[in-house]
Amino acid sequence: MNRAVLGLFVRKEFRDLRSNRQLWPAFFLLPAVSVFLPLLLLTLLPLLGDPARLGRDAGIDLLIQTVANDPTLRGGSLQERIARLLLRDLGLFYLLVGVILASGAAALALVREKEQRTLEPILATPIRDRDLLLAKLLAAIGPALLVAWGSALAGSLTGLAAGYWRTGKLILPTAGNLVGWTFLAPALTILAALAALRVSARFTDVPGATQFTGLVVVPVSLVIVALLGRPAMASPLVGITGSAVIGLLSVWLFNANARRFKREEILTRWR
Amino acid sequence: MIEARGLTRSFGGRPAVEDLSFQVPEGKLCALLGPNGAGKTTTVRLLLGLLPPSSGQAEVAGYQLPGSDRSGAKLRAKTGLLTEAPGFYDRMSGRENLELFGRLYGLPVRELRRRSEEWLRRLELWEARDQPFGAWSKGMKQRLALIRAVLHEPPVLFLDEPTSGLDPAVAREVRDLIAGFRREGRTVLLCTHNLAEAEELADLVGILRRRMLAFGTPAALTAGLPRLAVRLAGSVAEEQWGSGAASAESLRSVAGVREVSLDRATLRLVVEDLARNTPAVVREVIRQGGDILSVQPLTPSLEEIYLRAVREEPA
Repeated sequence: MNRAVLGLFVRKEFRDLRSNRQLWPAFFLLPAVSVFLPLLLLTLLPLLGDPARLGRDAGIDLLIQTVANDPTLRGGSLQERIARLLLRDLGLFYLLVGVILASGAAALALVREKEQRTLEPILATPIRDRDLLLAKLLAAIGPALLVAWGSALAGSLTGLAAGYWRTGKLILPTAGNLVGWTFLAPALTILAALAALRVSARFTDVPGATQFTGLVVVPVSLVIVALLGRPAMASPLVGITGSAVIGLLSVWLFNANARRFKREEILTRWR
Repeated sequence: MIEARGLTRSFGGRPAVEDLSFQVPEGKLCALLGPNGAGKTTTVRLLLGLLPPSSGQAEVAGYQLPGSDRSGAKLRAKTGLLTEAPGFYDRMSGRENLELFGRLYGLPVRELRRRSEEWLRRLELWEARDQPFGAWSKGMKQRLALIRAVLHEPPVLFLDEPTSGLDPAVAREVRDLIAGFRREGRTVLLCTHNLAEAEELADLVGILRRRMLAFGTPAALTAGLPRLAVRLAGSVAEEQWGSGAASAESLRSVAGVREVSLDRATLRLVVEDLARNTPAVVREVIRQGGDILSVQPLTPSLEEIYLRAVREEPA
């Protein structure tokens, strides 16, 4: 692995990202939603935990049943327990932030080079396929993870403030949240970015690559996040195990990408 | 040095290039001529190791092809490529683009900056160095692409249509630069459809249409078909050479004459050796009663050689 090449590409991609104003909204919108969501949910808390609506609203019945059956939420008033559940499960959203942003950036990573006709001159340099793919991967996941972690931090602070406002108590992120954000978020982000990178290598046009990523890679990633993320938010052990599995899957996918990165295919499938 | 030995590359069972064998000695410039789709770009990609051949081998700058990933990377460090499209990032400045590629070629930062400045000044791009590449003119972009190809001082250069789409003045500049690369001792493979460019620059010429139709020095390629035009006085020509059959037959019997044709009042002959055969032809025409107005040796141009080779070969 050539660190100089990696650094060079990552800096180039960051600079490109900074100057590409079309990508900015996604990078600002998701953190904004992160701050807004805890506030919204806890504003609705009195409605969600209203005993008068018990038996009349199936959703609220289910919520209260979930709170009652979850041993990690014992202690405190019903409203406080609901608030803890909502804020804990909201942690899932911050896993999505990285996945969405990284897959969007990775989907463009190679196809945009093809479209700009910069890929052939790059491939004509001594750069090796693995270094190029790793650089593109790092460039896609770096900003995405920074935004995801920033969103988690901002969301947690908003949650703390909103929780205190509604329940009079500081509701801190759970151990599951912290493990999920620290380990599972990067693992899932890397996996989604690698899948999108594969799409980017295969497609010959930017709209095709982004549409396929948006219609296939992102939804599949979101299903994985939903299936794995919620239990992980409740249990750090699930988070660590899930991260390890996803991590291994990512290593496999990276190697598969490197093996299937055919310069000839890329150079001869241009339009 | 560049050497191809039976290089073949097929896409989906259809050969793009077939059984290419040629050699470009160190320090020579070889022009690869061919119509669109003749396989010139595929040949360059094969010789750079960007595409693996379906069969055959090559050696470029001392590295064998096909080779390992590692030797491929080393080969690319020893070669420079100018693609038909400049291939830079529009949002980055010219200097930033150059520095990015220079670093990819492994140049140390200080040396890279020194060489960038030297080349940018030499090609009159220094003033525009910090402007976004997207705002540059086509000629400026092409000059920057040339700088990228030579910035790491490779001994072997592949130039794919370097003057395509350039105005005559810029094309002239680019050709002068290419001539300079050859003078510096670099081995250059130049793909072009521009026959005048090839004639002006090349030590060797290859005519490619999927297969190598002809390969050699321009002199050797054109020397294969010396021609002679004998212009006769019109009325005499009509009278005596009008049917042409008997007289032409007598000319064919002259030693060294291969082909004879009469086009209005001009006899066109293909001979083996201009110096030896011309006097005999003149004597024979006079003996047959022809009044000669002029005798002109015709050296076929590269264009004629090219067109003949390409027309004879089915697409």
